This record gives sequence, structure tokens and C-alpha cells, in this order.
Amino acid sequence: MEVIMALMIATLVGSGVYLTLRARTFPVILGITLLSYGVNLFVFVSGRLSVNQVPVVGMSENPSDPLPQALVLTAIVIGFAMTAFLVVLALRGEGELNNDHVDGGSDGEGG
Amino acid sequence: MEHLIIAPILIPAFAGMLLLLEVRERQHLRRLTGLLATLALIPVALGLWHQAATGEIDVYQLGDWRAPFGIVLVLDRLSALMVLLTAVLALPALIYGSRGDDRRGANFHALFQMQLMGINGAFLTGDLFNLFVFFEVLLIASYGLALHGRGPARVKGGIHYVVLNLIGSALFLVALGLAYGTTGTLNMADFAVKVNELEGNSLDLARLSGLLMWVVFGLKAALFPLYFWLPATYASATAPVAALFAIMTKVGIYAIARVYGLAFSGGALAGLGRDPLWIIALVTLGLAAVGVLGARRLGEMVAYLLVMSVGTLVAGLSWSSPEALGAMLYYLIHSTLVCGGLFLLADLVARGRGELGDRLEVGPAPIGRGLLGALFFAGAIAVVGLPPLSGFVGKVALMQAVPAPVYWLLLLGGGLIALIGLSRAGSSLFWRATGDGETHSLDGPRLAATVALLATTPALAIWGEPVLEACLAVAAQWAQPSLYIDAVLGAGGSAL
Amino acid sequence: MNLSILVLLPFLGAALPPLAERFKASRTLLALSAAALPALALGLMVAPGRRVIDGETVLSSVQWLPSLGLDLAFRLDGLALLFAMLVLGIGLLIILYARYYLSADEKAGRFYAYLLLFMGAMLGVVTSDNLLLLVVFWELTSLSSFLLIGFWSHNSVARKGARMALTVTGMGGLALLAGVLLIGQVVGSYSLGEALASGDAIRASGLYPLILCLVLLGIFTKSAQFPFHFWLPHAMAAPTPVSAYLHSATMVKAGVFLLARFYPMLAGTNLWFDLVTLAGMATLIWGALAALFQNDLKGLLAYSTISHLGLITLLFGLNTELAAVAAVFHIINHATFKASLFMAAGIIDHETGTRDMRRINGLWRYMPYTAVLAMVASAAMAGVPLLNGFLSKEMFFAETLQSDRLGAMSWVLPLGATLGGVLSVAYSARFIHDVFFNGEPVNLPKFPPHEPPRYMKVPVEILVALCIAVGVFPSLTVAGLLAVAGTATLGGTLPEYHLSIWHGFNVPLLMSVIALVGGVLVYSQRRRLLQWHARLPEINANLIFERAMQALARFAGAFSGVLRNGSLQTYVAWLLAVVALVLLSQVRPHLLNGERPLLPLDGVAVLAGAMLMVAAVITAILHRHRMTAIMSISVVGLVMSLVFVRFSAPDLALTQLSVEVVTVMLLILAMYFLPVRTSPESGALRVSRDLILSVVVGGGVGVMAFAMMTSDFTSISGFFLENAKPGGGGTNVVNVILVDFRGFDTFGEITVLGIAAMGIYALLKDLELTSPRSDATGRPWARDAHPLVLVTISRPLLPLALLVSVYIFLRGHNLPGGGFIAGLITSVALLLQYVASGVGWMRYRMPGDYHPVVALGLLLAGVTGVASWFFGHPFLTSTFDHIHWPLVGDFELASAMLFDAGVFLTVVGATLLMLANLGKLSLLDDKGGNAGQIGDVGERGDA
Repeated sequence: MEVIMALMIATLVGSGVYLTLRARTFPVILGITLLSYGVNLFVFVSGRLSVNQVPVVGMSENPSDPLPQALVLTAIVIGFAMTAFLVVLALRGEGELNNDHVDGGSDGEGG
Repeated sequence: MEHLIIAPILIPAFAGMLLLLEVRERQHLRRLTGLLATLALIPVALGLWHQAATGEIDVYQLGDWRAPFGIVLVLDRLSALMVLLTAVLALPALIYGSRGDDRRGANFHALFQMQLMGINGAFLTGDLFNLFVFFEVLLIASYGLALHGRGPARVKGGIHYVVLNLIGSALFLVALGLAYGTTGTLNMADFAVKVNELEGNSLDLARLSGLLMWVVFGLKAALFPLYFWLPATYASATAPVAALFAIMTKVGIYAIARVYGLAFSGGALAGLGRDPLWIIALVTLGLAAVGVLGARRLGEMVAYLLVMSVGTLVAGLSWSSPEALGAMLYYLIHSTLVCGGLFLLADLVARGRGELGDRLEVGPAPIGRGLLGALFFAGAIAVVGLPPLSGFVGKVALMQAVPAPVYWLLLLGGGLIALIGLSRAGSSLFWRATGDGETHSLDGPRLAATVALLATTPALAIWGEPVLEACLAVAAQWAQPSLYIDAVLGAGGSAL
Repeated sequence: MNLSILVLLPFLGAALPPLAERFKASRTLLALSAAALPALALGLMVAPGRRVIDGETVLSSVQWLPSLGLDLAFRLDGLALLFAMLVLGIGLLIILYARYYLSADEKAGRFYAYLLLFMGAMLGVVTSDNLLLLVVFWELTSLSSFLLIGFWSHNSVARKGARMALTVTGMGGLALLAGVLLIGQVVGSYSLGEALASGDAIRASGLYPLILCLVLLGIFTKSAQFPFHFWLPHAMAAPTPVSAYLHSATMVKAGVFLLARFYPMLAGTNLWFDLVTLAGMATLIWGALAALFQNDLKGLLAYSTISHLGLITLLFGLNTELAAVAAVFHIINHATFKASLFMAAGIIDHETGTRDMRRINGLWRYMPYTAVLAMVASAAMAGVPLLNGFLSKEMFFAETLQSDRLGAMSWVLPLGATLGGVLSVAYSARFIHDVFFNGEPVNLPKFPPHEPPRYMKVPVEILVALCIAVGVFPSLTVAGLLAVAGTATLGGTLPEYHLSIWHGFNVPLLMSVIALVGGVLVYSQRRRLLQWHARLPEINANLIFERAMQALARFAGAFSGVLRNGSLQTYVAWLLAVVALVLLSQVRPHLLNGERPLLPLDGVAVLAGAMLMVAAVITAILHRHRMTAIMSISVVGLVMSLVFVRFSAPDLALTQLSVEVVTVMLLILAMYFLPVRTSPESGALRVSRDLILSVVVGGGVGVMAFAMMTSDFTSISGFFLENAKPGGGGTNVVNVILVDFRGFDTFGEITVLGIAAMGIYALLKDLELTSPRSDATGRPWARDAHPLVLVTISRPLLPLALLVSVYIFLRGHNLPGGGFIAGLITSVALLLQYVASGVGWMRYRMPGDYHPVVALGLLLAGVTGVASWFFGHPFLTSTFDHIHWPLVGDFELASAMLFDAGVFLTVVGATLLMLANLGKLSLLDDKGGNAGQIGDVGERGDA
């Protein structure tokens, strides 16, 4: 199971990284989103994996580590706020620079 | 007054909330709220410094949960000093901003307060994940502020700044995941204890965690090769924002100092990443000096000077002796305030030159040429480290504490290069300028704010001894992590 | 009395002239206001001066920066006294002279202020008893001279000259600082006294060569020694009083002063001899040669100054006590005759309007009085008997004969000295003959010239009188002062010497004769020489320097331009490259064999994992087909929440799910407004670079994750599980952590959300975007803004959804749920109304501005936190009590729930503030008849 999880994290981070290196705002947004997914999973597994051990008192004899879950929840929220801001910033860029290049249309290599 | 520790976080927080409640765009009301809140920070910060100066470390257990389980705020000399510095920098910046720059976009004052909340939180927290949260607070606020006033240049710079920092935040989370996944704790003091009990894979992972933290903090502090975003972002931000941002890079430096001092100054991972930091800092110093010489706008030049100071500081920090840290802190205070003042000055100059703005080209004399020229002269002397101002004191202190030829060479050589750049800039801005600007038409409060920040440099020189002693006291405490750890976890050391 | 006050006086004095100017004082009054405090200082110096003459050394010290070893320590010994008198005395004469030199329309106030600043700095240099303090004043002289040289800032030559002087001397100053710090390291103190005492230690230490080079770099740049002499002639762009001051008695003398001051500390070694003597010799001859060929009056004097500084340096280099005394003596003499010569030149310039010696001729007829003064002074410069220059020249010649350091080559020194003498006679002759005789003036700008105002001549008269007095009665005039100065310089006993005009027939006398005769001969050949010189290519240091500086700046700009190329992709690549470097350096295969047993695989998980990975990769590959990318990324999100469910994190699952919905809405909006670009843009090279980075970083993180999952650890979480119920009053530990144990994180988190909303609102304000009529593939966006089906379904959904969120909220403390999730559900439900019925419809039913909602939410959370203060607890301390609530059942009502309510409000407010405004944004386009609303977009997103 850990292998699958590691692979998932690797894939998410990897594809996220690739997308953040693109030249247009939209793929960069996607990249940041994927990256944060991967990172959230990473933080989540820092409490190790456990199946059917919901961290609710009385619901499981050996509950999973609740702290990383709380951290990830916070991280998800913050990540959401950041993504939202980035999206709107991209729109702003489109509005002010009439261009969705991350360098505001400077003719850098795109992609 | 036990709750005083959290005041630097709550005052701006509540001020920001109230500013949000104020929906009817009553500018004067907003200014009043913001200014009062920022003004209030100064006595609070002074009180905290007074409290910390006694040498005892105060711990504030949020939610009444003891460390390492709950989040704690820790007031030691270092955090107190940084909070005080922030307050001193913020007030003039906000006064300057309240003269019209705050009208150039929505929610300026609220964002400004939230920014202060984030910065102070980052300085005060004793919990790694909470540090992340406050980083996010100050970042999201800084995104808003950096884009305040808009304009294509800002948006472009803003996109770069935001994307890079989002990646940085992701890295920070990875580092935190590793930190928790190995030591099973988030409290800095507890982490410092646990990290020395690790072995095998866990130790390697903890090392990775530390190194990733350096990368993240290095991005915040704008070290090579992660400073490229800074000049454009700072130079295009509105003056008061740029001035406030002078402290932002220092947050990164503070974070390195804090985590290094606690967890990596001794024990299993002693000196983690010290040598790379030393080299990178020197490279930063050199390259930034070149940047100063090549800058085409005054704002850009000041931004590079800021990066120069970062290199100077981190080099001093990575020397990691108490003396070096003391000198480094003095220089930190000096460079933060002076660069802040120079950002404001650059804007004052630009205002009087119409289309040219702060571009370093011959044009009409700025309004109040004589006065601004004198201020520029003083600021330049201070920032390149010529006597008799604080820059000289700081550099001498650093050179005495860090007797490394290459450091001396870069410090002095960089200073000389910066001097050449600044003398060229001043010559074309004030000497070659055509016509003669009028003094009286300068905006009073704006000028006052600028003068206030630049006036700190003679003050820091005249009262250099007490300031230096204070900095050395901070460093002495920093050099004994056990004091901090015992204060947080109780003399028992680790909690588990 | 305290010496620091003495030094302080000129600085204080600098404030007076500008004040006087403000009050429209007359020019004379201005000059008086400037002279007042220096005069006072001179007066105050009499008392301590007497004690010094009696062999005492007056010390005084005030603490400034003890922890740096930098104190305001001053010493007045013979050497200091001599220089102090020169600085103040000649300074006063300069002020008097400037009163008449400056024209009425010039900012005299500022001029005097700069002059006094410089005077103070100079006074500080010569009286410092602390090495660091000396450096401080040293740099101050550079800075204030920068202002003086650039005083006529409208004139480009002045600006360039000033910058050049600042750069060169500034560099020297920095070198000096380094040298002084090293001395401090060796001596263990920065006190000059101790340093002078421990000369042997310094000379013995391994650092000595470095120290010497650094210090000499400072000295040579300041005293314009070859090859750093080039800045001095260009400093002549300054007003003549400045030149007269800086280049006779002060600025350039600071260098040779330091040679004298550090003599006991650094001199006496062969290295010292070689460096100092050779530099001096080169400068002496080069300067004299160049002086001969100047056509500019001041230029001639400038180069002769360089030459004489070389002479003095040479003397110090000889390492004999007598030579050092001679050097000090010549410092005095040069100061007097050179100052008077500059002033005379200034007068001539003033009266004729030019300084070109090819035009100024035969002034004898027009201004004989000035002519006499100038002639005496230049005779002194040439070393004519009965004048002070002769005496020191004589000693100089004698000393060059003594040295045998160069062994068989020793004859070089006297030869060079004589040659220098010859040349100096020659250019002095030129100064006299060209200017005052040699035919008639050639079309002068001002004609006819006549004598200057009475008092403009007084300073010159005084100085010339001194030249004669010293020349004729040395023992009556200068002997005493020279003795104490010499003693102070040598830091020991004075050698045997007597100042007298006649030493009998000896080699030095012969050399003098050769110099005089030879000089006259050389001058007689001037025409041929000048023609020869005219044929040489002209080198203008100023031009070269400027070009160099500009090139440097241009290079710097280009260089940092290459680094900071303005491309985000490059910056991100840098950042990720650093990360990759860290990972590659640290991640090792052994991380893969952790001790912890693996969980068994199961099909579902594998399937889900595979789905997620495929979807992620698809997103990465097909990001240009934006709709596809959005769909695949939403798949990723959904699988994420499944993963959370699988690994016992229901709260995360719920959160992930609800966030996912909103995120997708945002993404679709982005896609909707952003231009659709389908053409691949980046070259193979960049793609491969990016692929490598993604593989390294992704792989590295994956390995770390695996290593982490497979290594054992002990965590603090046990505490939370135990105390959630007893301490936090809830069974859902995650929620208790969020609202209680680590409530402060949540407080920060919702703040972030609120700020983000604010920032977004600020960004969206008056943003205008044109919404496309059709999507990427050309399919037109739906015309039907609010499809009936959606409307009819969504409206009844709203109350239901609200009910659900209330339930989720209430149970949150004990079962998966809580304020955040509830908040998101509510906002989604409300957004659905926007989607279905449009912003217009909603506007009548919902507040337009959600700022207050956010604020109230944050306030509620914050106030709940503060409330605990009144129960004597820290921020955010929670309390709870049991109550029975119908339907929901028996549970604890915790104060933390109020906090959670704050979270709820903030989330709702923030989400709506963001998205509703985005909706408004699209509403703008309705005017354009195009229904580009969240509605349509949302619909497509769900499709």
C-alpha cells in the first residue's frame, strides 16, 4: 500500500512541477493545484497509513494519527485560498496585459 | 501582563477585521484605524523588548495546552527585537501610505494590518507548522499589497512573486511533513530535542527536512539563486509597500537563525547546511553589488541594495558565532530601516520628475532638490557603509566578528561598487538635473516619514554602543538553545 | 581642555554660514560666520600647543563604541600640532580669500559649510588617537572633498572630477580600513598609542606585508602617488580656494601625514623602503615632467603638487631619521608656498578670465604686486636659496646620498632627485616667465587685468612672508615646531641636524646648483620640448575613467540582465533545480528499506491509485486541451477524497470534496476568460529540462514519502487522542485539534482565507474582460443563461443544503464535519443559486458585499479567543458543558463551537466574496449581449 501511496505522491508532484514550468497562466494554475494535492498527501502520510481507524474516540480501537489530518485540513484550506487568488491574478493579468503569458507577454519561450 | 505577548498579533488582526467591517469607504476612518493600530504596536513592542531584555524567556500557551502539544508563542530577545523593528518600520511606511497611495486600490489598510499580523506571528511563534501558517498569512497579505495600485508592471511582478512563493509553500509543507514524520512533533524546541535522538533513515529524512527549510527560507530571504523575483516586485510595488517589504526578507533570515540556532547549532546534525549557506550568501552579496551598479531605476537599485544586505547578513549568520550574530543583528536593524527609507525617498524623487519617474536618466530636477539630495547623500553613505553612519559601524562590527578575507573583500569591494553606482545615480538625479525644484511643494507627512526612517542611521551610529550591546545580548541568548528549550518544555527537556 | 571639542568646532561651524545666508547676511558677514569657530579653535589650541612644545603629549578620550574599540580619542603631539596649525591657519586664510573669490550669485553659504566640514574632518584625521576613528575622519575627508570638488555641479568636468576623486580615495579608504582592522588584530587594540608602541610586533607578524600594502594603498591614493595620481589634476575643476586648500595643506597631505604617523609602526623594513621610495621617486619625476608641459596654470600647480608629494614620500621611504625630519620640514614648506601659488593663480584667473599660459603673458605690467608675490613663492618652489624650499630641498639631496639600500644602484636616488630638482626649477621658471613676461597678453577675456581687491592679496602676502622668514631665519621661526613634530614622527629622540642656509661646499649644494642651472637650461629649450610633447598622443584620464565606469555599469546591467531575465519559467527552474540538487545530494537508495511492515495491497486501492496517477499525467500532458485538463484534474481531486476515506480520514475526504467543487468552478472561470491557446510553444530542449526536473523532484519526494511511511516513529498524537474528550469536549479528535488544541492554526487559516478574499476583491475591482463567444473547439457557449431544469432543482435544494450544513456543523465536534465543511456546503449551495438563477436574481436576495460577513466570522473567532482572558486563561482556551438537544442528541456544547461558528461564517463570506464577484465580473459582459456567467460555465463543468 505504501508503494502505491508513494507512487501517487511522486506522480502528483512530478506532473505538478512540470506544469508549473509552463509559460501560460492556466497550466501553471493546474500545476500548483496538482502540486498542493501531492504535498497534502505527503503531509497526510507523515502520520503513517492505517485503514479503517477513524480518529474518533470510541469508533476505533487503535485510531490513526489525527494530527497530520488536522494539518492537511488547514493546508487544503490555505491551498484553496492561494489557488483562488492565483486564478484571479491570472484573470487580472489577462485584463491588464491582454495576454496570459506568465511574463505578461514578453516573448519568452512559451509552453 | 501575560497576554502582552500575543498583542502584536491580535492588535493588527482585530484592526484588520474592523477595517473589513467598514464598508462605506470612509478613507479617513480607515486611515485612523490603521494608524492607531500601528502606533499601538510601538509601545507594545517596547514593553515586550523590556520584558525580554531581562533575559528570561516567556512562553504563552495558546488554548492553555502545554508544549509540545499545544501551540506556544515564545518571547525571547531575538523575537522581541524583530517585533520591535517591525513596528518601527511599519509606522512611517503607513504614514507615507496614508497620503494617497492607499486610495489606489481596495483594502489597502486591511491588507497592511494583516501583513503585520503575519510578520509578528512568524517572529513570535514557537511551533513549526504555526510558522507555516503565519508565513501564509504574511504572504497572502503581501500578494495583495504587492499588487496594490495595479498597473501592468505590478501584475507581472505579482504573478512571478505569487507563483514562486506558492511553490515555496509546497516545499515548506514537505519539510514539515518530514519533520513530523521523523520527530513526531511540531514544536520547535521539542523538534530540536527529538532530532538529536534520531538515527538511520529518520536522521537522513530529518536532514532533508532541514535542508528543504533552508531552501524555503532562502527564497523568503532572497538568496542566490532565488532572489531574481525581488527587484522587479519591490521596484514596481507602491513605495510604502516596498518600504514595509524591507522586513520581509528578514523574516526568512530570522527563520534560518531560529531553526538553526535551536536544532542544528549542535547535536546530531550540527552545522547543517552551514557551508552552502556561507557560499551562497557571498555569491548573493557579490551579484547584488553588480546589480546595484547596473540598475536603471532608483527603486531597482535600492532593491539590489536590499539583496546585498541579505547576502551580508546570511554570511554573518552562517558564521554562527555569537559575536557574528550580534554584529549581524545590528546590521539587520540598520539595513532594514535605511532601505525602507530609501524606497520612500526613491518615490519622493520620482514624484517630482514626471514621466521619467525614478529612472536614472537626466531630467527635470526633483521637487525639493536640495533637501532630497542631502537625504540621498546620507542614505547612500549609510547603505554603502561609509562613516560616520550606522552602515560603517555595522560593517566594522561584522568584519571584526567574521575575520574571513573573502568576506572582507566582498564587503568592502561590494561597498565600493555600490558607492560608484550610487554616486552616478545621485549625480544624474540631482546634479545634472535641469532647472531647480521647489522645496515647499514637498508633501510634509511623506517627507517626515522618509526623514524619520533615514534619521535612524545617525541615531544608530551615535547610540551604537547600547544597540550593539543589545544585539550581542540577543546573540548570547541565541547561542544557548537550552535556555529556549527549557523555557518551552520545562526544565525536563523533551516531553515524551 | 578636551580636544574633542576642538575637533567638533569646525563641524558646528558648518551650520553657521547657511543660517547666515538664510538671514540674507552680506558676503563679508558670511565669511566671518564661517571663520568664527575655526578661529576660536585655533585660539583654544594655544594652551595645549604650549604644553606640546614643552614636549608633552596632550590626550583626551570620550567613549563611543567600546565594543568595537572605537572611541573618540584624540592626541595632540608635535606632529598633530603642526598639521592642526596648517589645517586651521591656512583654512582661515582660504576663507578670507574665498570671500573675494566667490561671485555674488554663488551659494557661498553652502560653500563655506562644505569647507568647514572638510576642515573638521581633516582636523580629526591629524588628531585622532584611535585607528578606527582616524579611518572615520579619513573617509569624511573623501566625502566632503567630493562635495567641494563638485561644488560647481552644473559643470560636467566638476561632476566627473568629484566622482573620480571619491572613487579613488574611497577605495583607498576601504583598504586603509582593512589594514587598520588587521593592525588591531595584531596589536589587540585600536589605540594609536599602543599601536605605535608595538611597531616591532607588527613588523614581525606574518600579516605585516598585507597590512603595509593595504595602508599604503590608502596613503598613495590619497596623496596621489603614482599610479593613483590621475585623480588630482581633475579635482582642479573645483573653485580655486578649494584647490588651494585641498592640494597644498590638507587633503593630499593626509596621505603623507599618515606616512609620518605610522612611521614608527610600519617603517624600517626593506619592503617599506622599496614600495615607498620607488613610488615616491616615480611620482616625483612623472609629476615634475607633466607639470612642465601643462598649459593650464592650475594644471601646472596640480602636477607640481604631485611631484612634491612624491618627494616627501620618497624621503619617508629612505628609512633614515633625518630623512623623516626633512620630509616633515618639506611638508610645512610645500604647504606655505603651494597655497600662496594657488591663490595667486586664482587671482590671475579672476583678473584675466583665463588660466591658459599661452594667452597670459607679460602680466608684470598690469599687476606687478601680485607678480612679486607669485615669483617669490615659485622661487621657493624651485628651491632657490634664502627661501624655505631651498632648505628642505637641500636636506632631501643630502639624504638621497646617504642611502645604500640599492647597493650598486644607489646612485639612482641622487640622480633621480637632481633630475626632479631640474624639472621643478624648469616649471617654476615657466610659471614666472610665461605668465609675467614673455611678451604681451593674447586676447584675454578680461582686458586689461589689474590688481585684485586689497584683502584678496593678504593671505598670499602672509604665506609668502612665511616662506621668506623660514628661508632666512629657520632657527628662529620653524626650528622649534619642526623639532617637536620630528620627535613625534620618529616616536623617539631627534637626530642631530641644524637648519642653516650655508653648509659649506658639499655635494648637496652642487646638486642644487645643477638643479638651478639645468632647470633654466631646460626651460630655455621649452619651445622644442613643447612641440615634442604636442606630438605625443594625449591621454585624458578623466575620459578614460568615465569610459571605464560606463563600460562597467553597462556590463553590470547586461550581466544582471542575463541572470534576472524576467522569465518566470527560468526562476521556477532555478528554484526547482536547487530542490533537485538537495534531493540528489541526500536521497539514497538505502532510504527504501525501512523497518516498518507494509500494509497489504488491495485491488480497490490499486485501482484508485492508478486512476489518480493516470489522471494527473493526463492533466500534465493535455494541459493545452483545457476542458479535458479540468475534467482530469477534478478526477484527481475526487480520487484524493476517496484515498482519504480509505485511509481513515473522513474529515479530509469531506473537505477535499467540497473544496474540489469550488476549485473546479474557479478553474472553469479561468478557462472561460483566458485566451485559449492550443499550439505547443516550447522547444524540445526546454521540455526535456522540465521533464528531468519533474522526474527528479517528483521521484525524490516519492522516495522520501516511502522512507517516511516505512520508518517507525513516536509522535505526540497520543496526547490528543487521550485528551480530546476529557480536555476538549469532543470525540472527533481532528476537529478538536482544529478548534482547540491547535485552534491558533485555524485562526490563522481563516485569516488567510479572509485576506485572500479581500485581495481577490481588490483585484477584481473594475477589471474588464471580454468573454469569448465560443470555447476552444469553436463550440458556442450555451445561450440559455438559466436552464429551467437547473433552476427548478436548485431552488428547493438550498434549504435542504443549509439544513445539512447545520447538521454537519453541530456534529462536527464529535463526528466528521465541523465549521469549515459546513461553511463550504453552504457556500456551494448558495453558489448553485448564482449558477442557476444568475447574479441578477441573487442580488435581490443576498447582500452585495460579503466583506462584513468575513469580518464578522473572523471577529467571532477572535472574540471567542479573547473571551478566555476574562476567565484568566490564555487566548483560545475552550470550555464546555453537557446539554441534551432534541434530534441531535446529548453532547457537549463547547465554547470552541463558537470559534467553529466563526470559521463557518468566514468560509461562507470568503467563498462568496470571491465567486460572487467573479460572477459580477461575467455579468459585465451581459451588456454585450453575451451571457458569460458562472451559470453556463458551471453547467458545462458538471457536464
